[in-house]
Amino acid sequence: MRTLAPRSRIAVAALTLVVVFVSSILAAPTTRNGVVLGLALDGALASLSVLSSRDLRKRRPTLARALGSVVVVDVALGATFFFSANTNYNLAIGAAMAIVLLGLSFLTGISGQISLGNSAFMGVGALAVAIWANHHASTPLVVTLLIAVACGAVAGLLLGLPAARLRGPYLAGMTLAFAVAFTAIVNSFTSWTGGDAGLQLPNAVTAPRWMATLFDSQSSPLALNSAWLADVTIVAAGVSFFLMANLIHSRAGRAMRLLRDNDVAAEIVGVSLARSRVLAFVVSSAYAALGGGLWTLINNSVSPPAYSFALSITILSLVVIGGIGTVSGALLGGVIYAYSASVISWITTQTGLNPQGNLASQLNGIIFGALLVLVMLFAPLGIVGLIRRLHRRLASKLPG
Amino acid sequence: MITVTSLSVAYGAVQALRDVSFQAGAGQITAVLGANGAGKTTLLRTISGLVTPTQGRVDFGSTALVGRRAEEIARLGVGHVPEGRGVISEFTVEENLRLGSMFNKTPLAKGLAEQYELFPALGERRKQHAAKLSGGERQMLAMARALIAEPTVLLLDEPSLGLAPLVTAQLMKTIKDLCEKKKLTVILVEQNAVTALRISSHAVVLNLGRVVADDDASVIGEDENLRQYYLGMSS
Amino acid sequence: MDAFLTSRIMSDVLGGLTNGMIYGLVALSLVLIWRSAGILNFAAGAMPMVATYVGMVIFVSTLGYWPSVVIAIITGLTIGALTERVVVRRLYGKPPINPVVVMVGILIVLEGVAAAIWSTVPRGIPNPFSPIDWQLAGKPIALSSFSLYEIVTALVVMSAVAALFRFTKLGLQLRASALAPEVSRLLGVRVGRMLTLGWALSTGVGTITTVLVASNFFTGLTPQVMDGIFAFGFIAAAVGGLESPVGAIVSGVALGIVLQFVGDYINSNAIILVALVILVVSLMVRPNGIFTRNSARRV
Repeated sequence: MRTLAPRSRIAVAALTLVVVFVSSILAAPTTRNGVVLGLALDGALASLSVLSSRDLRKRRPTLARALGSVVVVDVALGATFFFSANTNYNLAIGAAMAIVLLGLSFLTGISGQISLGNSAFMGVGALAVAIWANHHASTPLVVTLLIAVACGAVAGLLLGLPAARLRGPYLAGMTLAFAVAFTAIVNSFTSWTGGDAGLQLPNAVTAPRWMATLFDSQSSPLALNSAWLADVTIVAAGVSFFLMANLIHSRAGRAMRLLRDNDVAAEIVGVSLARSRVLAFVVSSAYAALGGGLWTLINNSVSPPAYSFALSITILSLVVIGGIGTVSGALLGGVIYAYSASVISWITTQTGLNPQGNLASQLNGIIFGALLVLVMLFAPLGIVGLIRRLHRRLASKLPG
Repeated sequence: MITVTSLSVAYGAVQALRDVSFQAGAGQITAVLGANGAGKTTLLRTISGLVTPTQGRVDFGSTALVGRRAEEIARLGVGHVPEGRGVISEFTVEENLRLGSMFNKTPLAKGLAEQYELFPALGERRKQHAAKLSGGERQMLAMARALIAEPTVLLLDEPSLGLAPLVTAQLMKTIKDLCEKKKLTVILVEQNAVTALRISSHAVVLNLGRVVADDDASVIGEDENLRQYYLGMSS
Repeated sequence: MDAFLTSRIMSDVLGGLTNGMIYGLVALSLVLIWRSAGILNFAAGAMPMVATYVGMVIFVSTLGYWPSVVIAIITGLTIGALTERVVVRRLYGKPPINPVVVMVGILIVLEGVAAAIWSTVPRGIPNPFSPIDWQLAGKPIALSSFSLYEIVTALVVMSAVAALFRFTKLGLQLRASALAPEVSRLLGVRVGRMLTLGWALSTGVGTITTVLVASNFFTGLTPQVMDGIFAFGFIAAAVGGLESPVGAIVSGVALGIVLQFVGDYINSNAIILVALVILVVSLMVRPNGIFTRNSARRV
């Protein structure tokens, strides 16, 4: 205990620095270099404080997770100042997807349920942002995103109530029906949703003024746009990951894992099966809605047909490939998603396929579907599982 | 005749049977006795191919059984009435029997008539769902379903479990009669040692997966030590 | 009488009956696998779809309609059996999520491969039945020789499956393997083979269904032709209870008729919405389905 005190002081000092840093930006956002320097300083201190205390993760897990998130977010934020507009766009899309993946990974891996309807929950969030922004353009960005999250949570609750009593295939089938029904729902309320054509965001929804000044005014408008959007998404992802890591290790999270492994035993020790299942479903839907809402911001518009059943499959594939139930797997899945289109077009050109041909246009689905089957059969914990296995093998070979 | 030689079975880290050897003579009833968890059920499941042993052999006459699949062993003529009877509740009495007679040579009608003669209670309820039968009737149905397949070996797992003493006595008598009439080789797993020993000619006592005694039923029934420590019979 | 037969209500009933038969068949094919393997086959539309392409696109122009149908069915049986042997066999005893994910993966791969080979452009399948509604006293009645072909085929398939299960030795073994696999093995039933057969049978039923759907002049064959129908078939199976073949068929037909009225009196967008509501409500009221007697659910 005695040794902890100075170390946690370092940690607290680092957190203070974060606060100082953020408030200094708010107070005097001047040059891009200053910001990058601040980020680097802040990230370095946060990682230093994590490293300085070897048992921080054990003794103060929440603090450790907070510092960890700060480090990753800082690095990503700093990088957006150097990336091209295109890279920043991919980064933003991938980071938003990572949020969605985290939600499903939690639902499937921790709570043992499955959803094939997360594309529709994304769509709910995406439409919520667009509809709200079109009616109340002056609402702060954070509030608009929170409204999207709330809409997703409510939709999740509606569908999750029956889900509480359903297992595996029944639940999967019901969420599939929801995913299929989403387009019909959108088309039933055309005056609100814009039907298949979707909605544009009003021009008023741009970066908050204090943010805009952070960025190099010499950049092209697109670059400017994607950089701040990437930053917003990265921060949102950082917060989401931090909250999720805490949820997984909380009492509720432990109860869910107990339920997943043995529901009879869990009920005996007093865990409510229904409440736990519904909670997991709501969280997963809320995360999906946040991801969808961010996509609307990034694209400056929403196109409901994009949120079809096929997207649900992509989401499921990415979670499985990354590693079901793992936080790092969700992050990995986001990265894979951001680059999957480029990888597939690279494969197309390398193999000399006609890019307009049938095979090239189906390559995405075929590859993801095949990976889904192969990973589930031969490496059920995905890439993260493979890395862990490798790590264990190396660790067992090393002495000590 | 069933010959078991140095049979060992493990479920993960749990060793259920260790180096078990014994012989169940043709046309005889061999009782397998022992407390809960002694490995009696595992022994029967290994003989009928549901469990793969880690080592050892099981021979049915001159046929090696280990390595064959359960369905193949059943078709060779080894009938197994499992613990809890395994009657299919959703089936009618007659459907259960039809399932049993799937792979024998005797025509279905003749087989059915024979079983209904042996167990008249079943004949009266042939069209009823097995779920509606009493415990004793379910045991009869399970036996009849095994017998209609015309086995040469019959493995019985705790047939008396949950039955009233009077019903048990009747059942045991039926088993003994059948064994004599059909020249059946019976391996009878029982916790109720008194009842089992009364009709058996040979007995094997298992404790924690090992054979602790293997002798004539009368000798085992007289052994004070066995009676006290393994068979739960007061002297 | 004539006026009644050509009335709006009657044409909704007849139109709904035709669709409902199709939903009932899909539901039946889902139940066949669910009962034996405890797996909901999400590729229950895609596997038959490939079989239908093989039969009805490759062979129809040279061999004609009926021989191509036979080829499609044989292909379907083979695809079902192979899937069980090669893939599904590795999934028994795994957490219930694993088969869901794998079957979804197979769905996507098959649809992708079919689109890569045959493109997504609908293919009409020439067949001997006219899609034009019959007339009664100058007014159309919602029946054509094609819809009658659909209804009769569905009834024949359903009766054949029922007869197989009820009256044959094979059916008895199939049912026994599903209800009590271990006991069945002890009685000499080759349970593994029964599972393979169950998948083959289910995909065979699915193939007949897909051939019917794709032969419809107004639909044609596309790689995703069964997607929506699968959703309705699943809803029917879940409402009826995945354990009960009769329940699956009855609720399939009922769903078809109800949804026809919804489409006619509200609009086509409302169809899937109402179906979803029916599913949610019925699952909340009776999670095991209307036609399932026992309350214990496997899995």
